[in-house]
Amino acid sequence: MENTPGQRHLVMGNEAISRGILEAGVQVAAAYPGTPSSEIIEVLSQVAARRHMYTEWSVNEKVALEVAAAASFAGLRAVAVMKQVGMNVAADFLLHVALRGIRGGLVLISCEDPGGLSSTNEGESRPYAKMMEFPLLEPGDFQEAKDMTRWAFDLSERLGSIVMVRSVTRLSHASGNVTFGQLPEDRPTADFNFNGAMLDPDTGPMINLPGPVTIIHRRQQEKMARAAALFETSPFNRYDGPERPELLVITASACQLYCREAIEILGLEQRVGLLKLGTTWPLPIQLLQRHLALCRRILVVEEVLPFLEENLQAFAARAAARIGIKQFFGKNDGALPSTGELNPDLVMAALSRILDIAPMGRDDAYRRRAEAIFAKGAPPRELTFCPGCPHRASFWGIHNALAMDNRRGFVSGDIGCYSLAALPCGFESLKTLHAMGSGLGMASGFGKLSPFGFDQPVIAVCGDSTFYHAVMPALVNAIHNDANVTLVVLDNSGTAMTGFQAHPGLAVNALGETVPTVEIPDLCRAMGAKVRVCDPFDLPVTQNTLLEMLDDPQGVNVLVLRQICALSPEKKGKKRYDMAVDPQICRADDCGCNRFCTRIFRCPGLGYDPQKGTARIDEVICAGCGVCADICPSGAIERKQRS
Amino acid sequence: MRIYGPQTLFEDVQQRGLCIGCGGCVALCPHFKTYKGKTARLFPCDRETGRCHAYCPKAEVDLDELARQSGQPSYPASPAGGYQRIVASRSGRRLAGQTCQSGGTVTALMTLALASGRIESAVLTGTKGLVPHPVRVTHPDGVAACASSKYTAAPTLSGLNAAIEAGRRHIGVVATPCQATAIAQMRANPLQQDDFQDPAGLVIGLFCTWALDTRHLIAFLDQRMDTRRIRKMTIPPPPAEVLIIRTDTGDSEIPLDQIRPLIPGGCRICPDMTAEWADLSVGELEGRPAWNTLIVRSETGRALVDEAARDGWLETESYPSGQLDHLLGAARGKKRRALQQARADGLLNSAPDTCRAALRLDAKTVDALIGDGEECACRY
Repeated sequence: MENTPGQRHLVMGNEAISRGILEAGVQVAAAYPGTPSSEIIEVLSQVAARRHMYTEWSVNEKVALEVAAAASFAGLRAVAVMKQVGMNVAADFLLHVALRGIRGGLVLISCEDPGGLSSTNEGESRPYAKMMEFPLLEPGDFQEAKDMTRWAFDLSERLGSIVMVRSVTRLSHASGNVTFGQLPEDRPTADFNFNGAMLDPDTGPMINLPGPVTIIHRRQQEKMARAAALFETSPFNRYDGPERPELLVITASACQLYCREAIEILGLEQRVGLLKLGTTWPLPIQLLQRHLALCRRILVVEEVLPFLEENLQAFAARAAARIGIKQFFGKNDGALPSTGELNPDLVMAALSRILDIAPMGRDDAYRRRAEAIFAKGAPPRELTFCPGCPHRASFWGIHNALAMDNRRGFVSGDIGCYSLAALPCGFESLKTLHAMGSGLGMASGFGKLSPFGFDQPVIAVCGDSTFYHAVMPALVNAIHNDANVTLVVLDNSGTAMTGFQAHPGLAVNALGETVPTVEIPDLCRAMGAKVRVCDPFDLPVTQNTLLEMLDDPQGVNVLVLRQICALSPEKKGKKRYDMAVDPQICRADDCGCNRFCTRIFRCPGLGYDPQKGTARIDEVICAGCGVCADICPSGAIERKQRS
Repeated sequence: MRIYGPQTLFEDVQQRGLCIGCGGCVALCPHFKTYKGKTARLFPCDRETGRCHAYCPKAEVDLDELARQSGQPSYPASPAGGYQRIVASRSGRRLAGQTCQSGGTVTALMTLALASGRIESAVLTGTKGLVPHPVRVTHPDGVAACASSKYTAAPTLSGLNAAIEAGRRHIGVVATPCQATAIAQMRANPLQQDDFQDPAGLVIGLFCTWALDTRHLIAFLDQRMDTRRIRKMTIPPPPAEVLIIRTDTGDSEIPLDQIRPLIPGGCRICPDMTAEWADLSVGELEGRPAWNTLIVRSETGRALVDEAARDGWLETESYPSGQLDHLLGAARGKKRRALQQARADGLLNSAPDTCRAALRLDAKTVDALIGDGEECACRY
């Protein structure tokens, strides 16, 4: 990321975006981690000191955008980074900052996850650009990821508007060649000027008030009109193809790569035109009118919902008198799926159907080899917690306490690795799972249903990072409204799922500086909850504590289960115990336990040896946590403390 | 005996609401646990047969088979099962000064059994608050601490199973009729294990017309008093019809009609009032609060009673003739009601290909026990 202008580098999409941020001279970057966006702040944090830059892991996406906006109001360039779900968290502030405008260039980067590869949804945030009226840019390759990000700050300052750059997993997490540009050396100073007139965008206070809303809103719409005019000549919008194509493909983002590959494989370069858009809102009207006039049939290729398609259809309807009636293909006619990621095969299939081309089959040799491999089958592997994961031990205690309590209790879940507790690795404990913070919010609601006959106990779970992000308001709500619930904070000392980013419970920040901690137990006690802290690896204490909490007929109990993630840098590869199975004691199938350790507990570090007819430890992946020794009813699993 | 696995047990007993929480399936494996008077299944298990099902007193209990195991030709059509003699009894001079629930017969006999080495330990029922739990006693002086009526279903057999799993044998147990039924099935080596040893050295059964669901009783009493102050509960013989709660601040009387809804469903199909599968059965003796009814059933029981009487642990008298009819009438009434209920619920002698039964016994015996179907004057 250091200054090597003019050189080509093989970089990940998120690294290209980071380089674009550096080339734009951004001085403040804030984010909440979330796949596939997390690498951007991590890369920036590594060079922040040398680039005179401040980066932070904010407590959530809304705060991240507010931190970035503050820098913008003080005249600096700033960026806020998040994944698509975080856009919804930031949306309230986003509406207002989009309306009121900015000063230093302010860019919001949303890295999205079509197909939900690392998300509980595949919601997308492009409609926010239209709904809240700010420009939207979608890079189509790695060079554009860098170049468009850099340009987004120029655009933001030229318009006085926040600008959104949208990436997707296959761009953020894939790698490609990028030629680096210059890094700026000038360092503007920060100063928030508020002495001008109330509505002066450059010198007045940055305030949204009920009275002048329409004035400011009109100003915002004028910015959008200027943006549309600028987009007419943007180099990020390109057409490749014949002068009179049979079919015009319009696309954006990583989908342009799929389209180019599909056209090339099918040999359609002389029949199909490709209009790749980089500026997808507001639409460049003149440019579209010119290209829509090229032919009658239009295929729109984009992932998930028909955002571009329907906006193009609306424009085509308005322009029909000039460009003629068009036939659109895409999501709405079923040419392409409205869920999941796209790929060249799906685009080829759509092109083949529309152009009445025989679908291209696989090469025979390839097909035979693929079928032979497929016939052997891959080993079945289920989603599961890692060996030594504290969550497995935590949910062992939670599941067993609820089962022993025997009142059909359940867990109201939240977002993190522990969401997997809906599956066998967490003993199928989770029965609700929605947004960050929703676990306790839902439990707070369930906890008020007793007047209507509801008598099931509810345990809400959340991670430590999630606690700060969105659980605190729900906790206040549960306490204030006297809901009878138990909250279990699965504190594994970091934002583990996204790569151990810091959070307010840790004494370090994104820059590696020592910072004050905000302790979860102290916060909960201060709010009025009854709080206990346990080690989830101590199975009996955890289970008995939970049983006591479930017995408590009133109020909110909080159990903080504190044990560092098995993959954390300070723990990984360091075994606390050497584990072994005593074959003289383990009877596996002949034991009343019915292979309890491998059938129920299911740590990947445990296996079954069919020759010996006993359980066995996989020493390669066993993390040496020692918990399985406590779940074996016969005491056949031994642990020896490492010196 | 038809023996199935833990999944069948879960479906037939727990999901049918028949589980009385005796603890017979607990501590055999990691799947079943007891907590606050209820048996919980933590995880499903797909074994086709299991001791959990074999021991359960509410799943496929074959009374004729149990009778044959105890040396009887078949299950008798008699109200109190098979027995040698019935006497009146109370604890003797060797237990002077001990506080017991009524006559102290159980405390005396179990203390002697431990003192004489007949058994190496005794599994009894203690309480934490109002929640009963198993207590394993190895010294004779420890027996008296558990001497009180509990009235709530107790997981005593989880303590027996735990002792057996720990390698203990010659264990004495004080058991309710359902628990004694489970022990009888346990003693029959139902899974035909090669290394089987009868673990129970002595079973003293307690008379029982019903028990109360622990959690329901606690919730019921919580609404009426500070349950932390409860010291003792007792149900005096008819016609009192009340549960007396003795607290630090005085007695409270609760009409039995109010607590009968707290009886677990499994009690309603229990045909056994007098713990027929025990070596000895003990209950109150109506009209004589400081005495017990003692039924001697097995040779083990007879030998213990003889020694207890000889050495001053127990006083015995011939049973009052007028009381015997009353006792047998009450036992007959419970049998009749339970068999009628089980039949109405499809749980008695169910066709094997359609539904698994809770109880099985010869159809003629059923007819003889149910009789003309008239309801007995005695009530649950």
